[in-house]
Amino acid sequence: MSQSLVDDPGKAALGLARPVEAGSAPEPGRRADARRVLRFLLRRPGLLLSAGVLVLVVLASFWPGLFTSQDPLKGVPSQNFRGPSGSHWFGTDELGRDVFSRVVHGAHLSLQATLIAVLVAFVLGGLLGVVAGFVGRWVDDVLMRFVDVLLSIPALFLSLALVTALGYGTVKVAVAVGIASVAGFARVARAEVLRVRLAVFVEASRSCGARWYSVLGRHVLPNAAGPVIVLATLDFGSSILAVSALSFLGYGAPPPAPEWGTLISDGRNYLANAWWLTALPGLAIAATVLATNRIARALDGEWSRQR
Amino acid sequence: MTALPDFRRSRWASLTALVTTSVLLTACGSSGDGPDTGSGSGSGSGQAKSGGTLTFTVGSDVGCVDPQQVGSNDTIYSVRQIVDSLTDQDPETGKIVPWLAKSWDINAAATSFTFRLRSGVTFSDGSELTAQVVKDNFDAVPKLGALGTLAQGYLSGVENTTVVDPLTVKVTFKEPNAQFLQATSTHTLGIESSASVHRTPQQKCSDGVTGSGPFVLDQYVQNQSITLAKRTGYDWGSSLWSKKGDAYLDKLVFKVVPEAGVRAGGLQSGQVDAISSVGKANEAALKGGQVTLQHRANPGVVFGLGFNHARPVLKDTKVRQAILSAIDRRQIADTVFPTGTQPATSVLAHTTPDYTNLAADLAFDAARAKSLLDSAGWRTGGDGIRAKDGKRLSLTITWFPNAATNQPALELVQQQLKAVGFDVALKQSQVSQFSTTLQAGDFDVVWGNVTRSDPDILRNSFSTRLANFYRLPSSSLDTALSAQAATTDPAKRGQLVSEAQKLLVRNAYYAPVVELQTQLGLSKKVHNLDFDSGSRIRLHDTWIG
Amino acid sequence: MRRYVVKRVAQAVGVLWAAYTVSFLVLDYLPGDPVTAMAGAGMDSGQVDPAQLAALRHEYGFDKPVLVQYTEYLGRAVRGDFGDTVSTGRPVTSVLIDALPQTLLLTGAALLLAVLLGGGLAVVATYTSQRWLRQLLLSQPPLGVSVPTFWVGLLLVEAFSFRLHWFPAFGNDGLRGLVLPALTLAVPTGAQIAQVLAKSLLTALDQAYTETARAKGAGRWRVHLRHALRNASLPALTVVGLLVGQLIAGSVVVETVFSRDGLGRVTAAAVTAQDIPLVQGVVVFGALIFVATNLVVDLLYPLLDPRIVVASDRRASFA
Repeated sequence: MSQSLVDDPGKAALGLARPVEAGSAPEPGRRADARRVLRFLLRRPGLLLSAGVLVLVVLASFWPGLFTSQDPLKGVPSQNFRGPSGSHWFGTDELGRDVFSRVVHGAHLSLQATLIAVLVAFVLGGLLGVVAGFVGRWVDDVLMRFVDVLLSIPALFLSLALVTALGYGTVKVAVAVGIASVAGFARVARAEVLRVRLAVFVEASRSCGARWYSVLGRHVLPNAAGPVIVLATLDFGSSILAVSALSFLGYGAPPPAPEWGTLISDGRNYLANAWWLTALPGLAIAATVLATNRIARALDGEWSRQR
Repeated sequence: MTALPDFRRSRWASLTALVTTSVLLTACGSSGDGPDTGSGSGSGSGQAKSGGTLTFTVGSDVGCVDPQQVGSNDTIYSVRQIVDSLTDQDPETGKIVPWLAKSWDINAAATSFTFRLRSGVTFSDGSELTAQVVKDNFDAVPKLGALGTLAQGYLSGVENTTVVDPLTVKVTFKEPNAQFLQATSTHTLGIESSASVHRTPQQKCSDGVTGSGPFVLDQYVQNQSITLAKRTGYDWGSSLWSKKGDAYLDKLVFKVVPEAGVRAGGLQSGQVDAISSVGKANEAALKGGQVTLQHRANPGVVFGLGFNHARPVLKDTKVRQAILSAIDRRQIADTVFPTGTQPATSVLAHTTPDYTNLAADLAFDAARAKSLLDSAGWRTGGDGIRAKDGKRLSLTITWFPNAATNQPALELVQQQLKAVGFDVALKQSQVSQFSTTLQAGDFDVVWGNVTRSDPDILRNSFSTRLANFYRLPSSSLDTALSAQAATTDPAKRGQLVSEAQKLLVRNAYYAPVVELQTQLGLSKKVHNLDFDSGSRIRLHDTWIG
Repeated sequence: MRRYVVKRVAQAVGVLWAAYTVSFLVLDYLPGDPVTAMAGAGMDSGQVDPAQLAALRHEYGFDKPVLVQYTEYLGRAVRGDFGDTVSTGRPVTSVLIDALPQTLLLTGAALLLAVLLGGGLAVVATYTSQRWLRQLLLSQPPLGVSVPTFWVGLLLVEAFSFRLHWFPAFGNDGLRGLVLPALTLAVPTGAQIAQVLAKSLLTALDQAYTETARAKGAGRWRVHLRHALRNASLPALTVVGLLVGQLIAGSVVVETVFSRDGLGRVTAAAVTAQDIPLVQGVVVFGALIFVATNLVVDLLYPLLDPRIVVASDRRASFA
């Protein structure tokens, strides 16, 4: 029972995260998978839209040139505070810079920070959880009490304490956000490892005399990864929010770097005369988070249920 | 608004003040959104009445409520109201007039100042103003520490302060120091009660002080608000004020709202009565409606880039000259600052006495900047940033968020310098860290200005014989600066000040960018909110109705 | 029952101690030299006067071994003394206590709004037989957790303060000034409550006891509210306990957006000024509020449902 349950979301997650690969590696069974993914998506226009938004954001963060040819750092000062129009979709800011271009280029910084945050949480949390779950005994107790403590400090406060200690900047903010969500990952990873460890086939391979690392590497990790990866997609959305909140508070990259949170924070100075400076970058954040959350939800529940 | 405005008073203010204001008036009269200087704001209609609360939002809090230790306009606006000064300076004529001192004598050498105090003045703790209290105040100034550099500058070279009789006090200097009279009109030498003076500078900063002013500190919440209440029984106002006795307003609330846009919105929607630091961006939104914009040009050292001459890159005159040429001052003034703001045409603002127009030396010329850098050996690299011996041409500009205009202005400077091959980083620091940063020399380039209606501010800012925050090497500039301070002949002094400005600009010791013009936004129901001689505000005569 | 209470209280104290330790490690140990950080306050260090540094180091006890520092600090913290703030020299504890009432007011109002709006949404969405209405309502919570709070706050200011002039844009002025900030803070919290409550309501409605109630002839509304909601509110209560920490932390952003005085704005300023004692006080304070709320929730549990007395570690079900 446990085997199939654990297996499912894991595969689903991997399959969805790399849809192209699933198609380009034409194993016999994979084609049916691809078709099913397609059918699954077509029945859910919201999910399809979310996937589209996410693809656009990822493209923007790697190849901003695809979306805009305007310089995000240099504008025409005499054309400042122009409202949204055909030539400036998101208007221009106080120095005449194109806001759309700044949002597009900002995607790079903001997504980079988010990825770092998720990665830190995933690696550290996963490590803690796997060690606790696999070693067990007092190690488990100690590590999990530590995780309890991390959970008792509100995440933003923990991030702020880390920012105070580490200093400002995109990467430092990202690390601070990542560490604040380590605890969640540790819990899920530990729970999964415990479940898999007790599963029949692991017991079997152990009794056949397999080394602990081969049990860990071959059986436990692959089977426990699924829910952790689902959590990572969920965490992606909340990390974008946390990173942008910290850069909104002024702890991110210094000007003129167009981090999303910084754009909104700078726009506050012109709230009375240029609404687009705050409203439109915020829309970009909201759309991205909404999209990743929708996809995470699909990975978490709907997809596995549908199978 | 200004970084450390009013950074030490200079000499001869009394002698030169006449010049100051006549220029000022022409400067302000041109733009015409509401009355500018002196005689009151708002529509003059209606009868002045007592009572009410004035809510004033400012952009920053310097972290201290002791007038003697505060140098940032946003905080001066409030703490100025707590203390009275020995004298006052007429913002229109520049003349020094009586306040706590009824009269004074200055000896011919300008080394000794005798003040005869008004009788019957009391502090809000009930104690009386006497010559001894004034002596206590001046004697404590050297112990003020890091935040007291302003006051210490005014009293530099003081030999002693003596009590002649209970209401007569005499201050003696080792060298001529005619600027001292004008210095006594500033908030920095505002008189505090003996009890306050004997507390530590830190205590004075965080708990506030007892003064004899028309308002009393009621509550201070750091970074949030300063609340003042009317002092009842006040009867020793400056001779410049029109109302006798108590102030009109019952209460003053200064709230810290860092975002200019939010301040502007609050004024528009009637949530507050007055706001500080209105930049160009919010002018359009505020014009019309129930708001008056009131502005006044600040004399003194203009906003610009102060170089740390101890940094190897900045020791090269050509690099500094390239920076001066690479800056398009007109673009910055027109894009960011209040309408009517002048691009810098010297180190001194054009409203400062003995100002010399050096516009030709400060013209925007990117080609010249590039060739200067070329000749200094800085070659353009692949990314457009210049490098020499493998080292990139990088600079960090440290700035303080005490005016909404700072960040956009510096982002433009950053762009303009990048265009000729500089890699400029902007580093925001705390307003409360301004003096510490300068003292520690912990900067490449610092953005700021100093409000002062006397050219002696040049000596305070750039003489290597004083604080020398910019770590300048000693040079003929020192000679000129010292000579102007020791000269009693106005014509001779004008020449020396002019020479100093030329030396500063041609050697690019400082990069002047733009003049400061203080612009406040006021609700139309606020009347008689006036600027003082340093473009800060006087609230005794202000009323709401 | 008494054992349950004692155990919960002991756990709470243990978590607080550990939270203090974590904050000590992060803030006093991690920066390498907190004194340079404090003296420099956000600037490159190296240029600060060494004598001044040594004096500061001595004043804050950083010249002692880490373990000695830790025990000394902990001893003082137990007595409620977190030292003095670097920027003003006022005691950290009194700064926090002064700032607390406004923040409690804000978070309390936000929690109330969140429970009313989120709970109401969940109840209506699960009760209605209109498919479109249910779809519409259930699509709101995911939206609520996806929008940045500061953005929501700014949009509200733009619309209701600047354009309509209904509410003040900033400050702590009375009830009217509380509306927009509380609403802003309530959006993500209410959305989470709605999500949890809707889910558990749907589960409860499928359960045998609701079937029984229905079979006994209870009206639909009555079944919904009396039977299903009562059982479904337990998970929601747990979530509320957990959300309190989030609300307190959320006040940092919301108070900044609305320039409201309070704990959040003190926190933001402390981080900006790298005021280490103050930040540490805030972190421990945040943990204290969080732990205390959850202790209350834990102790309320058995009253609501006696079956849960011997529940295992409740927090294990989180995350």
